[in-house]
Amino acid sequence: MWKFIVRRLIITMPQIVLLSLFVFIMASFMPGDALTGQIGPDVDQDRLQELREQMGLNNPWYIQYRDWILGVFQGDFGTSFRYNMPASEIIQQRMINTIWLSLVSLIFIYALGIPMGLISGRYNDKLIDQVITSYTYLGFATPIFIFGLIALWVGGFQLGWFPTGGSVAPGLEPGSLEYILSKIHHLLLPGLAIALIGLVGTVQYLRSEIIDTKQKDFIITARAKGAPEQRVYNRHIFRNSVLPIAAFFGYEITSLISGTVFIEQIFSYPGMGNLFLESINIRDYTVVTALVLLFGLAAIIGALLSDIILSIVDPRIRIK
Amino acid sequence: MSKSLWGKYFFVLMLALVLVLAACGGDDDTSEEGDDPETDQEETDEGEDDGEDADSEEGTEEEDDADVETNEDGEELYDIEDFDTVVSNDGEPMDGGELTYGLVTDTPFEGTLNFNFYSGTYDADILQWLDEGFLSMDDNYTYTQDGAATFDVDEENSTITFTINDDVYYHDGEQVTAEDWVYAYEVIGHPDYTGVRYGTAGFTLIEGMEEYHAGEADEISGIEIHDDLSFTIDYERLTPSLLTGGIWTYSMPKHIFEGMEIAEMAESPEVRETPVGFGPYKVDSIVPGESVSLSKHEDYWQGEPNLDSLTLQVVNPNVVVQSLENGEVDLVTSFPTDQYPDNADMEGVEFLGNIDMAYTYIGFKLGDWDEEAGEVNYQGEDMKMGDVELRRAMWHAVDNDAVAENFYHGLRWSGSTLIPPSHPAYHDESIEAPGYDVDEANRILDEAGYEDTNGDGNRETPDGEELTINFASMSGGDTAEPIANYYMQAWGEVGLNVELVDGRLLEFNSFYDRVGQSGEDDPDIDIYQGAWGVGSDVDPTGLYGRGQLFNFPRYASEENDALLEDGLSDEAFDQEYRQEVYSEWQELMVEEIPVFPTLYRAILYPANERVTNYDINVHSGGTEYDLYEIGVTEESQ
Repeated sequence: MWKFIVRRLIITMPQIVLLSLFVFIMASFMPGDALTGQIGPDVDQDRLQELREQMGLNNPWYIQYRDWILGVFQGDFGTSFRYNMPASEIIQQRMINTIWLSLVSLIFIYALGIPMGLISGRYNDKLIDQVITSYTYLGFATPIFIFGLIALWVGGFQLGWFPTGGSVAPGLEPGSLEYILSKIHHLLLPGLAIALIGLVGTVQYLRSEIIDTKQKDFIITARAKGAPEQRVYNRHIFRNSVLPIAAFFGYEITSLISGTVFIEQIFSYPGMGNLFLESINIRDYTVVTALVLLFGLAAIIGALLSDIILSIVDPRIRIK
Repeated sequence: MSKSLWGKYFFVLMLALVLVLAACGGDDDTSEEGDDPETDQEETDEGEDDGEDADSEEGTEEEDDADVETNEDGEELYDIEDFDTVVSNDGEPMDGGELTYGLVTDTPFEGTLNFNFYSGTYDADILQWLDEGFLSMDDNYTYTQDGAATFDVDEENSTITFTINDDVYYHDGEQVTAEDWVYAYEVIGHPDYTGVRYGTAGFTLIEGMEEYHAGEADEISGIEIHDDLSFTIDYERLTPSLLTGGIWTYSMPKHIFEGMEIAEMAESPEVRETPVGFGPYKVDSIVPGESVSLSKHEDYWQGEPNLDSLTLQVVNPNVVVQSLENGEVDLVTSFPTDQYPDNADMEGVEFLGNIDMAYTYIGFKLGDWDEEAGEVNYQGEDMKMGDVELRRAMWHAVDNDAVAENFYHGLRWSGSTLIPPSHPAYHDESIEAPGYDVDEANRILDEAGYEDTNGDGNRETPDGEELTINFASMSGGDTAEPIANYYMQAWGEVGLNVELVDGRLLEFNSFYDRVGQSGEDDPDIDIYQGAWGVGSDVDPTGLYGRGQLFNFPRYASEENDALLEDGLSDEAFDQEYRQEVYSEWQELMVEEIPVFPTLYRAILYPANERVTNYDINVHSGGTEYDLYEIGVTEESQ
């Protein structure tokens, strides 16, 4: 097992280096740079040239890459042009927000999705299953940015139950109980919006697995042995059906840090997805490359986690 | 439920979804471009905040109330003349008032909260509450003696002496001194300085600044501190621009920043977390990228502010209407003008408006950039667009009033000169710009020899060659594409074959790259549509001077040089003379047409009806009420 993990990790290293190189080259092909947005009658063109020189933007890409990668090995990801602060610091700030949001939405997804999938699978083709299934179709078809807007409009503006933007109410002391409650309050609506759309996959997988497992021989055996229906479902069927969901769990972790652009935009929530998009838009290369590196790392670790989880749940696929 | 019935329901559902999609798609677009950090900067692109009524110049605004004007689609037209700049609520501000000010953007604000380092628009919106310049401005953007400091110009020795009032205090209680102001010059001029502010005349004209900036001198020889409150700056020469926004008027609290590495200042907590200024409100706490809580600065030099506390909060452009409607925000930094027609009668909210300091224009490439000489290489007649008659005909061929009415509900209107009416003292209304006149356009082209010789419906050059004009236009917003198409169609109607560069609209960054922001002009571009925000100083040298990289049309002429120079000469300290010079310059531009302005625009500011003493000009100059006077007359619901 450990061998397997270590081997996987060793393979990922060159992958990440390649990824960073690739991203860096692509980024240097993008038209414009971080100072394009500054041009105007109030700003002196020579000053911009001077700044480009100072920031090393005039160097060829391989020199820039070398400078950058040397910095990375020392834990220095460079300075964000837009934020005037170390890229690692701004990413850290946003990542905390995103992790909280993803965590809340993950909890919602599993708390709602698993029971729905169970019910739907157990009572398949009954009315309740039809309701749930049609909900999942609807969920598949509804784009998240529309659902987010509707959720905000209903929950935030019409009913007024939730705040309509941001991650915390202004003016609260960080760390105080009020602050934490305010944070949670701000997380509920966007988290729910993500979950209500995001859970459809979970429900569908679980449902079809359960329907599948229901007809397996060992279930029939269990029933024949007189196991109560509740026990058949909870112990025998559920355990065997949850496999694909467990397999996806690792990938879900990946999405924990990458964030969701749409929801973050709609709820003015300062998270990673938003940061990534705006950094690309204004050519804030240092942040873009640092983020891609991070996302790449997360994807690789997520895949690894999925494999590990799977091998724990299902001994048959364990690699020898 | 039977299968067929399900199918029907499903179909209806899908239909509804498609409609929702279509409706929301629009929303999404406007937000994106409105908040694109760059577009908010200097180059404003299409479809952002707009303007005024097409007919305002004809003076028809009087009848607007009686019979409402409409555009081709029967939608109501608006006129900037109908908007006030001051809220109508003239009640006494209540004690202990609280107000929320919305920063309309879909990206978090940068949080570089110091005038000497900021570059983002939203940071400036925040900064105006907690810090301010020493000098105030009148409505022609000229410095007055009413600010926190006075100045005395000595034209003979080309020096300006500044004296700070003795009652100006920072939020932390320290008195503001001449050292603090001079320190800002020392930081910005320093070789290690990381911001963009250096390089304008307000710095480079100072004696000894170049040496200091190059690291050859330890101090700026042209700045002399007399005592705690006064100092003199010795300029190489004085220009009127200095007095219309050229002087750097912001301080840098020396007692806080002294001892810090200049290269590290911008990222320091003193800038990002606990900024200190001498403005009417002081910072209590900041949630990075989201909100700032402020409370009043009781020792504010103009008097005690009327509000107890103030919250600045990011509001997504998608929900700004709802946030205003339910009173979550009282004032906002900007309002997407395309949402105005649907919300003109919003309950509890009053819309104020003014002419924006910006214009949209069509530019003609008349040369390229000479990197070595550092100036434009005007090639005149050799370029495809080199014939001024061709350019004039193209101006005649487009109906900007129709664009303004149909795309902007009259909140933009057709432009005439390159100094927009936001600068009333300098904008010359009497200049007659080529208006919409297809016959005239055809006549000019016929006379100039652009005729259709091969019968393909398009005109050829006088030499008989095929003429295809390549048009670069920026993407962004719902209106970018239809407007670009409209222009091409209008030119097509006078027989000019105009095509989009690459057959599509260009993304913001690549647009400016190819138009020439780095000096490498794309020879494939013949004409382009752009927009400029103009500074408080009218001097157009930065955009049309010979040595200016941002002179994208690459136009230069001796007459132009002379006029631009005159506008900054000693005589131009006399405002009348300066007006004359810039009138002539505007006239020259209308004759030579290196670019022609297509649309001027209005900017709208909604305000909750409980807000009093609010004048939207506080953002620029010549205001009736200053920021500290803003108050509320009742509690928020």
